[in-house]
Amino acid sequence: MANYDVIVIGSGNGGLASAATLALSGKKVLVLEKHNIPGGCGTSFRRGRFEFEVALHQLSSMGTAEKPGPLREIFRRYGIEKKIDWIPIESLYKVNLPGGIGVSIPADRRKAEETLCARFPQEKENILNYFKMVYRFNDEIAAFLAQSAQSSGEPSELKKKIMKFGFPKKYPTLAKYAVRSTQDVLDEFFKSTELQLCLSAYWCFMGVPPQRFPFSILARCTHIYIEDKPYYLRGGSQMMSQAIADCIRENGGEIRYNCPAVKMILENGKAVGVIDGSGEQHRAKKIISNISPVNTYFDLLEPGQAPEEARDYLKGYTVGISALTCFIGLDCPPEEIGFTDSFNLIYDSLNANEDFLNSYRLDASVDPIIATNYTVDDPEVSPKGTSLITAGVLKYGQPWEALSPEEYYETKYRLANTIVDRLETRFPGFRAHIEEMEVATPLTHARYLGHPGGAIYGFEQDLKSSVFFFPQQSFIEGLTFASGWVNTCGFGPNYMYGDKIAKALLEEV
Amino acid sequence: MADLKETIISSMVNGPDVLQDIVSARRNGRDYVTDRFHTKTIVNRLHPDKLSLRVSEIRTAASGAKTFRFVSCGGALPYFEAGQYLNVFTEIDGVRTSRPYSISSSPKQRGYYEITVARIPAGFVSDYFLDKVKVSDTFEANGPAGVFHYNPVFHKKRSVFLAGGSGITPFMSMISEALESGAERDITLIYGVRNEDAAIFKDELISFEKTYKNFRFHLVLSEAPEGYSGRRGFIDEACIRELAGNTDDCTFYLCGPQVMTDFCYEALCKLKVSKNHIRREMFGSRQDIQNEPGWPANLTGNEVFKLKVGDRTIDALSRESILTALERAGIRVNVCCRSGECSYCRVRLVSGKVFMPRGVLLRLADEKFGFIHSCKAYPMEDLEIEF
Ligand SMILES: Cc1cc2nc3c(=O)[nH]c(=O)nc-3n(C[C@H](O)[C@H](O)[C@H](O)COP(=O)(O)OP(=O)(O)OC[C@H]3O[C@@H](n4cnc5c(N)ncnc54)[C@H](O)[C@@H]3O)c2cc1C
Ligand SMILES: Cc1cc2nc3c(=O)[nH]c(=O)nc-3n(C[C@H](O)[C@H](O)[C@H](O)COP(=O)(O)OP(=O)(O)OC[C@H]3O[C@@H](n4cnc5c(N)ncnc54)[C@H](O)[C@@H]3O)c2cc1C
Ligand code: FES
Repeated sequence: MANYDVIVIGSGNGGLASAATLALSGKKVLVLEKHNIPGGCGTSFRRGRFEFEVALHQLSSMGTAEKPGPLREIFRRYGIEKKIDWIPIESLYKVNLPGGIGVSIPADRRKAEETLCARFPQEKENILNYFKMVYRFNDEIAAFLAQSAQSSGEPSELKKKIMKFGFPKKYPTLAKYAVRSTQDVLDEFFKSTELQLCLSAYWCFMGVPPQRFPFSILARCTHIYIEDKPYYLRGGSQMMSQAIADCIRENGGEIRYNCPAVKMILENGKAVGVIDGSGEQHRAKKIISNISPVNTYFDLLEPGQAPEEARDYLKGYTVGISALTCFIGLDCPPEEIGFTDSFNLIYDSLNANEDFLNSYRLDASVDPIIATNYTVDDPEVSPKGTSLITAGVLKYGQPWEALSPEEYYETKYRLANTIVDRLETRFPGFRAHIEEMEVATPLTHARYLGHPGGAIYGFEQDLKSSVFFFPQQSFIEGLTFASGWVNTCGFGPNYMYGDKIAKALLEEV
Repeated sequence: MADLKETIISSMVNGPDVLQDIVSARRNGRDYVTDRFHTKTIVNRLHPDKLSLRVSEIRTAASGAKTFRFVSCGGALPYFEAGQYLNVFTEIDGVRTSRPYSISSSPKQRGYYEITVARIPAGFVSDYFLDKVKVSDTFEANGPAGVFHYNPVFHKKRSVFLAGGSGITPFMSMISEALESGAERDITLIYGVRNEDAAIFKDELISFEKTYKNFRFHLVLSEAPEGYSGRRGFIDEACIRELAGNTDDCTFYLCGPQVMTDFCYEALCKLKVSKNHIRREMFGSRQDIQNEPGWPANLTGNEVFKLKVGDRTIDALSRESILTALERAGIRVNVCCRSGECSYCRVRLVSGKVFMPRGVLLRLADEKFGFIHSCKAYPMEDLEIEF
């Protein structure tokens, strides 16, 4: 039995980043991963001539080499920035509205404003005001964070009173918009539903419809993706996962694959180690869980061991959405069937909020489709003359869990077929060009990630459970969480959060 | 008194409502303690970590081939897609290894799985199955797995199956399923074997042809005896052109020894069949790896190299995969397809060079960071690997 400073359970983005930061500071780390490859969601798989990306559409927070974003700075520290070919993307996304109208939004504030004003001239003022507000919102966040960094500890009652009245004066945009839904805010600014859909696209990155999608996250995403540009990278997310795994090993860290954590060892209520799938015990001063709090408390601990407070605390959080994704290799280049942008959001109706409700059903006829054609931005991502596409809809896991195995396969192909039918109307010729295709369902995600409901974005990222209210608190001494379950989901956010958690632990181990 | 966060949020527009929502969510929310192992249980129904199987029946399927019926030693057998395989683990003379075998029975019934094993020259596991395995022997297996199956979304409703030798096995499952479920499909099977005695499932296939109008069966004998009135030779361009019908309107599926599928693939290319209408099962590594294109000219296949793994150094023969060398030495490696496709057997090559035949599906990141699929990597010199 070996002793470590820190054991990390899971090698998803949060797990890898926290382990790398610790290893770089000379801490002795062990990462346990149940799969045979690092990355969690951040991975890829091969079929025929194609390598399919599982999760990454667009990487946030990279910025340029000259003006690095926070993620690029982390990768610099890990020594992996130069090992990877980064590909900047010039378009944020293309929103495909009913009736065949498509609006591409450039990854540049002025150009984005111009595009939208040209398309919706009657709302020109509103558009300009909206962008101003979004930028002010982000400036106020920066100022507020800078201020909070200076004060420490719980302030006095008097200070709280002052804050209560002072906050709205000092941060008026935050006070007005920070805890409202996207739909609510867009309704305040715009009349046209089409225009609203052109601006709200990032809801699909968090898996909650505009009505429930925190405007804060939309404002952050819009600002970050415009300022730091969306990025892709050659070899997809597996390239980052492997590069960080290498950084961990090169700095003395240990990673064990095919090695699930099956039990957490508690002594006097304190987490002191982990037992892996082969029965081996590992001990450490601290444990970072990169898997869901649900699995951590209730699968890794005996029924009586999970603290009462943890059960109560988690009652406030609902397991989030999963997805049905079609991984498709086409035997033609993107332009041949009309793909102009890599990231596409496709609406067949204007009722995004209502259509979203279909995600509880085993049907894909009205759900907004998220379709990424990776070959548009990186012609080398697939062989010459082909296209690499993922096209999916967001789906909750629950109805899938109730299916018999026969029904499961029938349902999976039926929904995939509907998606391909719908793509065929937007991109005529699509179906005839399919050379490879694999379909992943919520159960596929549950299988590979181990997450309840096959959730791909952790708990529901809605107003009451995200932004200010992530379930980051741990109820067991020695245990910390770093994952999309306790933090804004996404690649950038989880690398950054893993790094932050690790830095906080550095003092303690 | 509320903490600072709550104080600030209550001063925001909509803040008090959100705080109220949180309170009621906690009151009415789910107690996840009741979900212990829930996800694992659901996933295991479709994809168990391991299968534990017992032989319940053995039948002769053709000369040099036997069908083995496996029942579960506990728990239901998972569903599979017709065409998928099991990877069956064996322990022979102290060596633990495994081989993938396509399931030949239909997924419509799940009381058992059947596999059919054909003898091959210099076989190891195949000999063991045919000569040693008896009823009530038990095996561990993983799977069902594999991507050689019908995909209703983009495969044509008209299928043409080109089978060689034991490569008939996945088709037997696919044919029984499609015909017996009354699916709107049309299937032509062209089956190449040496002679009639070696034709696996011949009687069943003939009887299927009699019962179902949407199924046609053609046997092609390469060593037909004199006076044989059926078709002879190989499954070549002319044969396919004649038997397959309109080649624009069907999906072709190829399964059999690599030389056979290579040959048929070329024939299909000559017939201008588009690549997206050709599906091919890898069906393992060729035995004569020295004849694979690109095999290093300076090697005979008999060289013995040193393979370092952790603190051990073992022997590795140049014509055997690294996986085989590890298994011979009793080192456990994760494995499933043994054909270079699934990446289960992925290891990192720390030093040395390996030969990788066609069909190895490496990820770009693996290529860049020096990972190989040990089941289809052959030592070209002394090596070191790590897990
Ligand atoms: C389809 C899809 C599309 C997405 N699109 C984007 C996008 O475009 N941009 C973006 O930024 N984000 C995107 N995301 C979200 C992003 O991928 C995730 O938010 C992020 O990767 C979560 O990382 P994580 O650290 O929570 O770990 P996860 O990726 O959830 O990994 C958890 C790890 O723990 C392992 N594990 C589980 N149980 C055990 C155990 N008992 N013992 C040991 N190991 C265990 C798992 O095998 C896995 O490796 C997408 C996700 C998906 C699935
Ligand atoms: C997806 C798939 C499906 C398949 N389905 C079928 C099927 O349905 N029916 C069928 O008959 N076949 C099937 N095959 C082929 C099958 O898996 C085997 O290749 C076949 O049975 C031959 O196995 P073998 O061990 O006899 O021969 P080989 O795999 O060629 O074994 C000989 C090799 O065994 C190794 N070996 C020899 N002696 C030893 C020893 N003492 N210790 C360790 N290793 C040793 C050496 O590497 C030697 O080269 C399938 C293959 C695949 C990939
Ligand atoms: S076992 Fe599948 S790639 Fe080697």
